[in-house]
Amino acid sequence: MTWFNGSLFLRVYLRNSKLKLIHHLLSISPTFSSQPLAQNPRSQSLNSPIMVRLKDRYLLVNILYTDLPPSQPSSSSSSSSSPNTPVSDLLRYNQPTTTASASADLKPQTLLRDIRNEITSLFGDCGAGKVNHNLQVKYFSPATSTFILRVSREHYRLVWAALSFMQSFPVKNGRPCIYRVLRVSGTMRKVEKETIRRARLLILAAKEELKGRSSSDSLGALLRGDSTSQQRTLPIVGGQDVDSASEDDMVED
Amino acid sequence: MMKRKDPPGGAKDTQGRNPNPRNNKRVKVQDARNIRTQPSDAALEDGKLDLNKFLNAREFEIKALEKSMNKCKAINATRVFQMVPRAMRRRTASHNVKRVPKRLRAQATKEMLDDNTPTVESRKRKPRTTRARIRVETMKRLRYLADKKRKKKAKKAGDGTTEEVQPKGTSIIKTRAPRPKIRRNMLNEPPKADSKYRKRQINKTWLPTHLWHAKRATMTKPNSPLWRFAIPLTSTAKCYRPTHRASGQKGVVAWDVSYMSTIGMYGTADCLERALRSLGLVQEGLWNARGKKWRAGVRKWTGTVSRQQKSLRRDIGPATIVWNPQPPATTSDEMETSNQPKKPQRQILIRTHPSCFLELFEELLKLAKSQKPQLHVEDLRFEIGSIELVGPGSTETLLGVLEPFHQTPEAAECHATVFRSLAGVTNPASLPKDAILGFSAKDPRLAYPPKRIQIPSGSEQTLLKTLTEWPVEENLKPYDIFDRESRYQASRMPAQKSINRRKGANAPGEAIKVTAADPPIPVMLLASRSGTDGQAQGTWTLLAPWKCIQALWYCLMHYPLTTGGNPRLGGLEEQRQIAFEHGLPWFPGDFPATDAGVEWEREQRAKRRGDWDRRPKSKRLEWKSLDLGAGRKGEMGDGFACDFEYLVGLAAAAAGRPDVSRTQGASDAVSISDGAAEARVGDQSVGGQSPAGTIRQVTKREFDALVRLGGGDKPTPPPAGAVVTVGLEFVARGVAKACARIYRLPGRAKVEEVRAAAVASTQAEVPATPEVKTSNGLPVDLREQWLAKVPDGNGKKKGAAVPRMPAGVDMETRKKILAGSLLAVEVPYPRPAGGRNEVDLGGHHPLCPGEEDLIGFVTTGAFSLSEGRGAAIGSVEVGRALETLREMGGREGRLCVVRNAGESVGWLARWEVV
Repeated sequence: MTWFNGSLFLRVYLRNSKLKLIHHLLSISPTFSSQPLAQNPRSQSLNSPIMVRLKDRYLLVNILYTDLPPSQPSSSSSSSSSPNTPVSDLLRYNQPTTTASASADLKPQTLLRDIRNEITSLFGDCGAGKVNHNLQVKYFSPATSTFILRVSREHYRLVWAALSFMQSFPVKNGRPCIYRVLRVSGTMRKVEKETIRRARLLILAAKEELKGRSSSDSLGALLRGDSTSQQRTLPIVGGQDVDSASEDDMVED
Repeated sequence: MMKRKDPPGGAKDTQGRNPNPRNNKRVKVQDARNIRTQPSDAALEDGKLDLNKFLNAREFEIKALEKSMNKCKAINATRVFQMVPRAMRRRTASHNVKRVPKRLRAQATKEMLDDNTPTVESRKRKPRTTRARIRVETMKRLRYLADKKRKKKAKKAGDGTTEEVQPKGTSIIKTRAPRPKIRRNMLNEPPKADSKYRKRQINKTWLPTHLWHAKRATMTKPNSPLWRFAIPLTSTAKCYRPTHRASGQKGVVAWDVSYMSTIGMYGTADCLERALRSLGLVQEGLWNARGKKWRAGVRKWTGTVSRQQKSLRRDIGPATIVWNPQPPATTSDEMETSNQPKKPQRQILIRTHPSCFLELFEELLKLAKSQKPQLHVEDLRFEIGSIELVGPGSTETLLGVLEPFHQTPEAAECHATVFRSLAGVTNPASLPKDAILGFSAKDPRLAYPPKRIQIPSGSEQTLLKTLTEWPVEENLKPYDIFDRESRYQASRMPAQKSINRRKGANAPGEAIKVTAADPPIPVMLLASRSGTDGQAQGTWTLLAPWKCIQALWYCLMHYPLTTGGNPRLGGLEEQRQIAFEHGLPWFPGDFPATDAGVEWEREQRAKRRGDWDRRPKSKRLEWKSLDLGAGRKGEMGDGFACDFEYLVGLAAAAAGRPDVSRTQGASDAVSISDGAAEARVGDQSVGGQSPAGTIRQVTKREFDALVRLGGGDKPTPPPAGAVVTVGLEFVARGVAKACARIYRLPGRAKVEEVRAAAVASTQAEVPATPEVKTSNGLPVDLREQWLAKVPDGNGKKKGAAVPRMPAGVDMETRKKILAGSLLAVEVPYPRPAGGRNEVDLGGHHPLCPGEEDLIGFVTTGAFSLSEGRGAAIGSVEVGRALETLREMGGREGRLCVVRNAGESVGWLARWEVV
């Protein structure tokens, strides 16, 4: 299996990469046997020089914080002293993205740089080279901790993997967080629709909470957007991408 | 001159904006794609998490995203002509605003201005070709002449007296307006065309709706009309599947079939009977009590008429025959006045296909003259036009368009009331078989646009009662459409201009009142069933005077169906398609045993050959090198043809000599090369001299009788050169095209013979070889190979079952099983001797049977949307078909192999006589 992937990779490498450093291959090939990096042979065959259409994937990513913001009085320590109630799970798992210095908000460029760094460290120059030319932050909203990434269709898994490995926010002494990919789609429109859908559900939940009917269920707060019926859930089976022209989006958590 | 791509005003913008218009556009796009965001503070209350702020942040996000989506959509380069529904799109709409619907025209004009689209104005366009230039010059000269004439006339009228206007010697006698002559026993002239269009109709006649159709359908080529008519072949829009849907599930397909020929005939009842009997209407059911309704004129008869040709009868083609009802019995005093009781005169209408019109007309003339007292024949081709409708909404459409013409409810005609009560019928086949309705209708333009009909609630009971009782025989009167005077009156409809004027005087949406100027339109409706089962959609045929067809058609096409949409237009292709989907043969294409069919086939051959000739040599089929396997080279017979001549020749040769020698096969190539010459001299074949002219049609009934007779010890010899039309259905895969060859499965008895012979020979001389071949090199077990391809009841192939992957095994096991199965297949080493396709095709498909098993040809074939698999209509030679049926029984005997012309792979099908 490893050898197979390696040879496939070699072909990919020679065709795609502008870097001619073959020795990287040796260092990288074991990594490529890991599941998320298995290339889809079909998408490779589409990568012929005649076919010049560029195809992208859009990733909708949510940043989850596990701790409370530094300015928030800790609920456990100050439960007796503070007059306000402990922070509900809904707010806790849907925090805005804050930086230490409130004046300079986080820029998308910072985020992008961090993702690139992560990819480089995980997949080397080759992986970074594949992804970098097309990686872009299409939307980044610190208030809701949501961002949309554009990746080339063939390599979106590299970015996804990198996001999974990132553990803190990309600033100095950044808060620990999790990057959660909510949606992969072929069009920006569908990603936007999904964002709206999720935001609606969160609003509903927040309104219920305002009325006092809060069910302080941490898991529910976390999976608020996913709990409702998903019509088109395409599971990704065994690392094989259900990647085709007709398929335009899939949901994975 | 500005460049096309540059938007106007891009260059003159100097104040701070980007001078490059492309950059402007880019900025615009970037702006539209930018989604607004909030800083993190927006979601925090003094740095603390807060529910209200949280809510606000989400709301802001939703708004921002929605706005971005809208903006992105708006920035897209869409033009108004792209918003038009598919059926209304025109290629020229991108540069001609007049091709865009009116409500979008202003916007389109603006867009074209913005975009600097080069537009044309036909008025200002210069003629490009020499021909066009000459035409323009002639037009100019003519205009000048007409102008001069007009001026002269005006001058004369100005200074002339009244005497000059009314010259001396003319008396003021009112005369009947001249009406077109209908000459008896002669062919009639087509209606005189408008002088503007006369030159285009020298060799053909336009349908009444020609101008409408010419814009929406592919017509026959101007220099090659079909049956002397310009006929719409198919819609210009894609319509294969929509037609299938509209004809069976939802909607209507309508055809202007005014090209169908109508012949009138009148004389005494028994003379007519004798004439019709000699046309082949010999079933006693027509002439005894069972045919009473038909003879009374409340049912029609549809079938094939034939003529005597020496000792045999030859089919002419399908015809519909309608009797005119007799006028109600005259009172006794009238009888007394006419001292000599004359036999009542009866009238019939014969409606037939234009391709066999002349043949039938000449035959009728012969028959009419031989009767005593003589019959009279009238050519009513351009007197009566017709429209055909198929689909669940057809009855509804007719109800919406045809309003019975009567002033008071008491004066209502019986048939008109029956017709009005048909609201709710979704299939004309549910009416009594071959029902006729004849009545007078109002001018449909008076109530234009047609409105959706209201089905009265609780009408099901009355409808059922009407359908079962079918009260059409009480006070039956002759149909007006038989009457020349009323047809003539109807064709003098008021002009569209006057209708418009009357409409303008009316309140909006109100129907125009009938006045004396509006004549009643005599119509006749024929309901026919397609096929034998009552489930298939039937057809409505509307007969009306030729001149009224256009008005009816315009209203028909705008009827709003209850299921949505309007009726679809159909062409000749659609007619063929629907006949094919119902499993019915289409005249003349599927009737190779009629003169019209032979003629059609000849044209098709020439067309196929022409298409073939036009292709470059490297890209066309080389018939001679077609490999049929087992050493057989070359197509059998003419590859462009349903080569019945070849088949009949083979059969005759087989009857003379028991085994057909291969030398005949070798002569195939010759017959192909001189096929062109054959097509050229094919004119003689119509006369019935060539082999194609001698083939004879056998009906289903006759064929069944032959099959039943064959049960005896001594099989009756089938008629020579007889073919029977069959419907074919593929048992598994395969789609046939026209000209595909139909083979029977090789005979079992022959196989036994050969095997015995082989065994005998091996005992005598050489050691036994495992493979025994018949004399023509085909494997002995060819029949078994083909039978193994028959799927069993569950739709699975018999034969060796392919090992299936067991469910729910993991990857490793799957791999092992796969590898095992790959290794298990034994490839013989060394490869068996002999060339390619010696024993079978590619190692898994049986070879086609030999030419001694060729039984017929496919005349129409395609993938049938109603069956969900390949189907075809063809003709098989009766002798061979009977032989097979007797030898192998009804089930196996109907299995056949169908191979497309020019291909080596055959597919298994089952035939059934239709």
